[in-house]
Amino acid sequence: MTDSSKTVNTFTPTVEAIETSRRNFLKFGASGAAAVTLSGVLPGMAAQALAQPAVIDAHTPKAGERRIRLTVNGVAQELNVATNAILLDVLRDRLQLTGTKKGCDHGQCGACTLLVNGVAINSCLSIAVQHDGDAITTIEGLAQNGTLHPVQEAFWEHDAYQCGYCTSGQIMSAVAILQDPAIGRDDASVREAMSGNICRCGAYKNILAAVQSARGKMARVG
Amino acid sequence: MSEQLIGTAMRRIDGRQKVTGAAKYAADHPLPGMLYAYGVYSTVASGKIVRIDDQAAKAMPGVVTVLHHGNLPTLHRTPNAPLNVKEILHASRVDEHRLPFEDDGVYYPGQFVALVVANTFEQARAAAHKVKVEYQAKDAVRSLAQGLKTKGARDGGRGHKRGDPNAEVGTQRIDVTYTTPVEVHNPMEMHATTAWWEDGRLYVYESSQGVLNHRNLLANVFDLPPERVEVRAPFIGSGFGSKLWPWPHAIAACAAAKVTGKPVQLVLPRAQMFTTVGHRPDTIQRMRMATDANGKLVSIRHESFNSTSTLDPYTEACGVVTKNLYSCPNVLVSHSIAAVNRGTPTSMRAPGAAPGLFALESAIDEMALAVGMDPLKFRQLNLSTTDESVQLPWSSNHLPEAINTAAERFGWHQRDPRVGAMREGDELIGYGMGACNWDAFQVPAEARVTLRSDGSALVQCAVQDVGTGTYTIVAQTVAQLTGLPVDKIEVELGSSAFPPGPVSGGSWVTSSIMPALAGATRQALERLRGYAVAASGPFADGDVQALTIEGGALVNGEQRVSFADVLKSQKLARAEGRFQSGMPVNPTHSFRSFGAHFVEVRWDPGISRLRVARVVSAIDVGKVVNPLAGRNQVEGAIVMGLGMALFEAGEFDPRSGLPANNNYAEYVVPVHADMPEIEVILLDYPDYNLNEFGARGMGEIGVTGLAAAVANAVYHATGKRIRSLPITKEKLMA
Repeated sequence: MTDSSKTVNTFTPTVEAIETSRRNFLKFGASGAAAVTLSGVLPGMAAQALAQPAVIDAHTPKAGERRIRLTVNGVAQELNVATNAILLDVLRDRLQLTGTKKGCDHGQCGACTLLVNGVAINSCLSIAVQHDGDAITTIEGLAQNGTLHPVQEAFWEHDAYQCGYCTSGQIMSAVAILQDPAIGRDDASVREAMSGNICRCGAYKNILAAVQSARGKMARVG
Repeated sequence: MSEQLIGTAMRRIDGRQKVTGAAKYAADHPLPGMLYAYGVYSTVASGKIVRIDDQAAKAMPGVVTVLHHGNLPTLHRTPNAPLNVKEILHASRVDEHRLPFEDDGVYYPGQFVALVVANTFEQARAAAHKVKVEYQAKDAVRSLAQGLKTKGARDGGRGHKRGDPNAEVGTQRIDVTYTTPVEVHNPMEMHATTAWWEDGRLYVYESSQGVLNHRNLLANVFDLPPERVEVRAPFIGSGFGSKLWPWPHAIAACAAAKVTGKPVQLVLPRAQMFTTVGHRPDTIQRMRMATDANGKLVSIRHESFNSTSTLDPYTEACGVVTKNLYSCPNVLVSHSIAAVNRGTPTSMRAPGAAPGLFALESAIDEMALAVGMDPLKFRQLNLSTTDESVQLPWSSNHLPEAINTAAERFGWHQRDPRVGAMREGDELIGYGMGACNWDAFQVPAEARVTLRSDGSALVQCAVQDVGTGTYTIVAQTVAQLTGLPVDKIEVELGSSAFPPGPVSGGSWVTSSIMPALAGATRQALERLRGYAVAASGPFADGDVQALTIEGGALVNGEQRVSFADVLKSQKLARAEGRFQSGMPVNPTHSFRSFGAHFVEVRWDPGISRLRVARVVSAIDVGKVVNPLAGRNQVEGAIVMGLGMALFEAGEFDPRSGLPANNNYAEYVVPVHADMPEIEVILLDYPDYNLNEFGARGMGEIGVTGLAAAVANAVYHATGKRIRSLPITKEKLMA
């Protein structure tokens, strides 16, 4: 779609507290899985990206549609979406970002986890028009110029998957959890925090090992 | 053949795709002009469609068509033949033989009654909710018990009888009945189809464990030569059996693409993962056992009943392990089925053995206690040393060692045999064990290996990697035989256009494809040797037999020429080998895999909280090709076994027969927080009677016997013998 220099470093250890606006509260409330209220995104990312939005739809919105602007993996996009369209479906069907998976459409499995303004949410429970102006990070936005994020590298090394279908969601939750000082570093805390992400293949032991191993590597990156 | 790759832990060659979101599953292929389909599903369990009013839906924006039994073009059934593994590369099987929209009958809840096709997913979903279906409901058969009572049981086959199991023999006897509920595979990826037609050809991305079978089926249904259908499944979000054989949605999506002339994507909602894509049926299993005064088994009767659909007979062969795991002169195994108004059941990970070993290994524990023996010693006393059901020796059976090794690692000797005698804080501790067991097969498979002039090799086979690590095993095998580095092996799987491969089931993929890969690699190397000794070749007029293979090169004494240079010397692009391997012919052994689980449970009687704290398992599955992915398979199967033991049960409304917990929140599966400490010991004894690599397969065995080990540990902690899965806290409060 565009220039990769605009992709955002999402694993910087910078942590900024999210304002408890009604909007963020609603998003948090809607995310049953592993929701954390911390941002790992670089300040100023949205402003930088807004400079050159990629226009997906040129025409004015039709009846039942609204025009929204999303910054996805650092790239601003303008498009018309149906008012009943779900963020997950818009990313997959309209922006062809199919790395984020649909596992239940009910916020019960975590396969669709991604970051909105640094907050991990279940994108299947979120109406797209509510995200006008938001910065979204999906699994496709984690690697930097071909270099895997430490969590991605750790998942590969530790065989922290089998079929790979829940993996995007597991990784996005792990990225959020590892940046959240409110979540303990011990195994039990990580298990608890990751429990919104089901892995039916049952690779939980390796996922835990990967998350704990990435923790050390992320600290070194910072 | 220098470096030893087979047996070395390797991270997966497709790992980067999986961790970056680049791995494409069935619904990850947006196509130009693609339409979206959304189903309308029956809301009664039994009856007839009287009227479908699709006017309101058709008038909605973006709706292209609404398909149902009144307007769908004629389709054709696939032959209703039982699976013959010898012919598996020509199979075109389904478990549910009725075609979608075939008639106005409703045979189960969640059956497809209409399909809305629209320009966007949102439009299709909205319109599907506006389709009005009027039913004439009939009284449904709502449970296995009701099915047995009203319609009676039919013989489900796969029985066994030896000796005189009816005799009132023995000095100690038990007669107990176990039940297991409906279980639902619930792979993370919902079943999905992306289909399009082009110049009379049908192309499909399908979440399928068997692209070749799926292709053959679609060819039958749409009356096409198989060559005009291609089914692809480069990645599937696992299946656990639910994606072995095609289901109605797959046919409906292809029909919609044909009718509209456009690509169509259909993703099942999670709710329909419980209705129209198979499930493990519920079972009732009566076990009668008797021993002599010394604790030797003298008689076993295992009579199993399971539910099936009103459309198709399906047998959950619970007794297949009962007939040969233990030594016993008098054995009866029987399976009976009774129809209920549910979708057709299908194989779910370790079909038969998973519920069957819950009964068998629980009963063995009960029998041991009745005799007054330690359950471990009772098993050691009674284990079979040959397969007494077919009177053949085991090909390779290290179950006694598995039991001893895991017991030692677990600390079984610290077990106080008295019920409720072990305690820590508020928790009572229980130790239990169970044997695990699964088939070992080799089925026909074919592969193509192409050595290329750029120094790489391309390997193709129409088999699937369902998450077990098949891509990596293929690369390991070819790298081992050629000496090429693993990163020079390009592996393409999951397309019916490749040389035929079997469905990914039965834990047979590794043991079946490795011989095919070896044959194809050797043939390619033979061709290459031929090029090397040609008049203009680097080993011109040399002895073909003297050319050895080392590190991707042909070597004769001091002379060493890479595969690439051999090809370039002849201006050739490639040296190809293609080979089809078969099955063991007139086998002189019985092939199975073995193992043992040891489980520690902790129960807090104050709040009846039960958890599994620790699992130690030792597994004998022959040679383990990739211990990293292999151990993961067994650990994952243990997690699924934990779900079976503690949580999982598909529930149905007793008044309507409709599914009651058809979602991921109410059909409870294990999550991170439920994880016990798990330690898996892989014994790693190659089974050369099965194939030259000694590999058997390990996808299913881990799920068997685990629920029994939990139940046995629960008895040890609580004194309560739970014979009905899952073991929920209210059962422990009773």
